[in-house]
Amino acid sequence: MAAFPLIRSRTIGELLAPAAPFDKKCGRENWTVAFAPDGSYFAWSQGHRTVKLVPWSQCLQNFLLHGTKNVTNSSSLRLPRQNSDGGQKNKPREHIIDCGDIVWSLAFGSSVPEKQSRCVNIEWHRFRFGQDQLLLATGLNNGRIKIWDVYTGKLLLNLVDHTEVVRDLTFAPDGSLILVSASRDKTLRVWDLKDDGNMMKVLRGHQNWVYSCAFSPDSSILCSVGASKAVFLWNMDKYTMIRKLEGHHHDVVACDFSPDGALLATASYDTRVYIWDPHNGDILMEFGHLFPPPTPIFAGGANDRWVRSVSFSHDGLHVASLADDKMVRFWRIDEDYPVQVAPLSNGLCCAFSTDGSVLAAGTHDGSVYFWATPRQVPSLQHLCRMSVRRVMPTQEVQELPIPSKLLEFLSYRI
Amino acid sequence: MDGEEKTCGGCEGPDAMYVKLISSDGHEFIAKREHALTSGTIKTTLGGPGQSAVNETNEVNFREIPSRVLSKVCMYFMYKVRYPNSSTEVPELPIAPEIALELLMDVSFLDWEIK
Repeated sequence: MAAFPLIRSRTIGELLAPAAPFDKKCGRENWTVAFAPDGSYFAWSQGHRTVKLVPWSQCLQNFLLHGTKNVTNSSSLRLPRQNSDGGQKNKPREHIIDCGDIVWSLAFGSSVPEKQSRCVNIEWHRFRFGQDQLLLATGLNNGRIKIWDVYTGKLLLNLVDHTEVVRDLTFAPDGSLILVSASRDKTLRVWDLKDDGNMMKVLRGHQNWVYSCAFSPDSSILCSVGASKAVFLWNMDKYTMIRKLEGHHHDVVACDFSPDGALLATASYDTRVYIWDPHNGDILMEFGHLFPPPTPIFAGGANDRWVRSVSFSHDGLHVASLADDKMVRFWRIDEDYPVQVAPLSNGLCCAFSTDGSVLAAGTHDGSVYFWATPRQVPSLQHLCRMSVRRVMPTQEVQELPIPSKLLEFLSYRI
Repeated sequence: MDGEEKTCGGCEGPDAMYVKLISSDGHEFIAKREHALTSGTIKTTLGGPGQSAVNETNEVNFREIPSRVLSKVCMYFMYKVRYPNSSTEVPELPIAPEIALELLMDVSFLDWEIK
């Protein structure tokens, strides 16, 4: 095994789950964590059917004030100092929401487009969402999806159609409030929340459980991954399947696009994270979690190194992965060994904060742990590459009249 | 601004704190010598810090690089120095897609070692 410098990530804090009122063996898991697109809130499913919404900046300040000790379960988080901008808007409040069933997935949706996505025509609809609407969608064990207003904690919509666990939810990043849900009933459904939650389309094609889904940053492509090695790419203008990506040897459980949409990361129970080029289906990089790499038979079974979650950082250079060997790893896309690691038992899900400076990971006992992500100033070449790739797919890049070394760099093949 | 006046004076001589980068369309960009020296090509042209310069006026003429590209390079110098590696909050440096490709080619074509 090659020796490489192992740097331990800096812990920022933790939020521990409240003690269960009764001794229950299951139902405590934290299957999902999420940050609001504008960085104002953090949501985690605490287990036992509750979701906790925490104003993120207050939470961070608490971590700094109290060291890494957590501040949990205080029903009102009051900071001792004045809040200078408490004028027009109410100070963001903490909410604990009882969803009525085990929460498997969470997603924040905002009617304000994330920056650098293509412009969208916002039409007027009956159930008007105000300019500043921030929604939280929760996917439940019985297949229902409940939509909550983040600022008030009230239930807004109840979407009923899936017949099985809603395993993942994701909103389109262009502010159109299109929600896609992935379920164990082998389908994905597309809902239009600006149109009263009208279900627009059912995406069929999976032969087995669908584990996760993710939108590309320009909202044109959706990736869905599931059991039986499935990785599918869908065209979200016509709702047709673009292609299937082959390569994994076991269930694929998580996926995430890079911020310029040029790379797709998928995590699987076959101990690997693959980085694909979504435009042509090529595998560009492989991040292994088991050395030596397992044979396909071993990879396809219970190998104790299942990778549970993967997430791209906002600088487009780092990927975080969570595996069953009790480690969180930060990878760089130009190295094949992790640049930082951190210990974590029973991790189930991870997500980068909106500004990319913190990674949150949820665990089997309902808690969340936070680490500082490795940050550095990207090279000017990489910044240019991201700017170009946001608007240009690989096929167009290949046509450019530039030296081959630059072509390879732009296609992330170096 | 007082700083500007000092800057021009500071471009002379081997110990100058500032250097002048001139684009193909005649725009002159004045950058701190230590920032500009992060680029390998500029270092070769000007000599390292404290050494006597090959070009005594401490100017580098870029005959193929237009100002829209060179201005972004200077912005990158400031951006890189402003946020050291251990800082946890590094905002994005916006680069318009129209100039991004040209910038990438110029930086790479000149074998500019901007790390």
